[in-house]
Amino acid sequence: MHDKTDNPTTTDGHSPSQETGDTDELEHRAFTERPTLSIRAKVILSFSLFFALCIAVTSWSIWMASDLTARIDFLEVAGDFMMEVQQARRYEKNFLLYGTNLDDALHHLEVAESQLKSQGNTIGKIVGTEHTDTMASYLNDYHSRLRELGSTDDTTRRQAIVPILRRDGAKIVSFAEDFVNAERANVKRHLLLAQRVPFLFLGALLLLMVVAGTWLSQSLLLTLMRFMAYTKRIGEGDFSPITPVRKFKDEFSQLAEAFNSMTRELTRRHDILVESHKLRAIGTLVAGVAHELNNPLNNTMLSASVLKEEWDDFSEDEKMEIIDDVISETERSQRIVRNLLDFARESEAKMQPLDLERIVQESVRLVANQVRMARLTLRTELEDNLPHVHGDEQMLKQVFVNLMLNAVDALPPRGSITVSARMDSKKDGFLVVKVQDDGPGIPEHFQQRIFEPFFTTKGKGKGTGLGLSVSQGIIHKLGGFLKVESEEGEGTTFIVSLPVTDFPSDIMSG
Amino acid sequence: MNPKDLRIMIIDDERIVGKRLKPAIEKTGSTVEIFTDGETALNRFQEQPFDIVVTDIRMDEMDGIEVLERVLALSPRTKVIIITGYATVEVAREALSKGAFDFIAKPFKPGDLRVIINRAGRELES
Repeated sequence: MHDKTDNPTTTDGHSPSQETGDTDELEHRAFTERPTLSIRAKVILSFSLFFALCIAVTSWSIWMASDLTARIDFLEVAGDFMMEVQQARRYEKNFLLYGTNLDDALHHLEVAESQLKSQGNTIGKIVGTEHTDTMASYLNDYHSRLRELGSTDDTTRRQAIVPILRRDGAKIVSFAEDFVNAERANVKRHLLLAQRVPFLFLGALLLLMVVAGTWLSQSLLLTLMRFMAYTKRIGEGDFSPITPVRKFKDEFSQLAEAFNSMTRELTRRHDILVESHKLRAIGTLVAGVAHELNNPLNNTMLSASVLKEEWDDFSEDEKMEIIDDVISETERSQRIVRNLLDFARESEAKMQPLDLERIVQESVRLVANQVRMARLTLRTELEDNLPHVHGDEQMLKQVFVNLMLNAVDALPPRGSITVSARMDSKKDGFLVVKVQDDGPGIPEHFQQRIFEPFFTTKGKGKGTGLGLSVSQGIIHKLGGFLKVESEEGEGTTFIVSLPVTDFPSDIMSG
Repeated sequence: MNPKDLRIMIIDDERIVGKRLKPAIEKTGSTVEIFTDGETALNRFQEQPFDIVVTDIRMDEMDGIEVLERVLALSPRTKVIIITGYATVEVAREALSKGAFDFIAKPFKPGDLRVIINRAGRELES
């Protein structure tokens, strides 16, 4: 069964995206060179706002309560004042009607006067200083008229005083009633306010909570979602570092840096995996190469042996022909070895525009012996004049070799493999390389899993389950996709899509 | 006993193998015909059987094992010698179990093959 391959593939251990110390430093600075606005600070700020609002409302309530207490106390005093004035007037009437004692009336007036004096400021605030002064003068006038009334027995004189006395008395009473009523209205208004303010406070609190809650949760949730996307991306093998997207840094920035150091480690491990996989592929290929190498070696050996045995019997021309064969067969051996060595040599990953046709041809040549030994046929359908792709030569070969070796493993004798390369008709700027076989196919429930690391359907010791995962990692790094299409009994096609390089290939490769 | 007058067929898709082996084997007095594919060789074999068939095991169209089976089907007394490019126990076991006389691994010298042919010739005569 086809599936995860295990034939390795690998690269020379240095992935193109491997970061150097300099870029680490750059990434680190990108994160740290921003103003700090930590989540802790945001939470503290929000709760401080709540607390400040509570303090404000509590202080206001305390002030309101003491104000109301003062007003109620004053109402009592005002009530007393009015009562004193009314008492005075009652005694005044009694005096006029029945000729009773006027001293009681005077006494009550004196009390009222002293009350007005002590509460003058408060009354002034309620009814206005002018009115208070007017009232004080009325009270004074009334008082002096009353005294005058008490000190004279002259009837005419009394008759002249009484109407003025009554007028002043009525004014004082109505004035006192006015400010008592005004103060009652005040107290009512304040009580109403004290009832309403809690509701206003609740409304403001709700608003503040909604605003602060939205702000906090937005900054938390959006960032969390961003990190969820990162983990998904990393899980799919994209190990490119996270870059800052906000203008300030917080605890998430530290998390992002931790992610970046994790992906650096993952990249390093991936490189090791790619390398070890390539070694495995080389191991497989070596068997085929050894086989293939024996042909030119045998030709050389036979030619040289015959030349030695028959030296005297051969003509000059025959000798020359045999020596030419020895030379050409040695060159053939050299080509075989060189192709494998090119693939096996450890070298720095070098990203450059590559002629995909050549890469595919050389990969096909690498597995040619495996294909022959398994008694399979391999056909190539390569479109002419394909644009170049950007990538590392060894890594791309590793992917193609891996896919072809998988097909070799999957096919019974007489099976056939077709390797094709053409422009992608569905996606602009992409090339597709297909490795198609007419083997048993991959059951649908395995198709999702074959790219998972360590998933293999090959027998124990035959597959590591890393081939396809490593291949997918390599193709992802080059900005491409590796997909599978398969139906049981209908064969399997692995599709590699690669972006064509944006640079004019002549300049880049030249 | 010298394996004189043996009719020997050599099949190898490497052209040089036949070209060099033909004169080297004919030195012993045998007749050698060389082929580069199994189909042509078998057609020739059907016209006129050979005493010894030397065939490479790995060839594109018809491989050495098939040649072995069809030759033995046509002529059970014929000795079939298998040339392998990459000697493994499995290949040797398969060849021998299917009736091959012997096998020789590349690269070899003409003398190595002559020794096996001589041995086959003696067995044919006995």
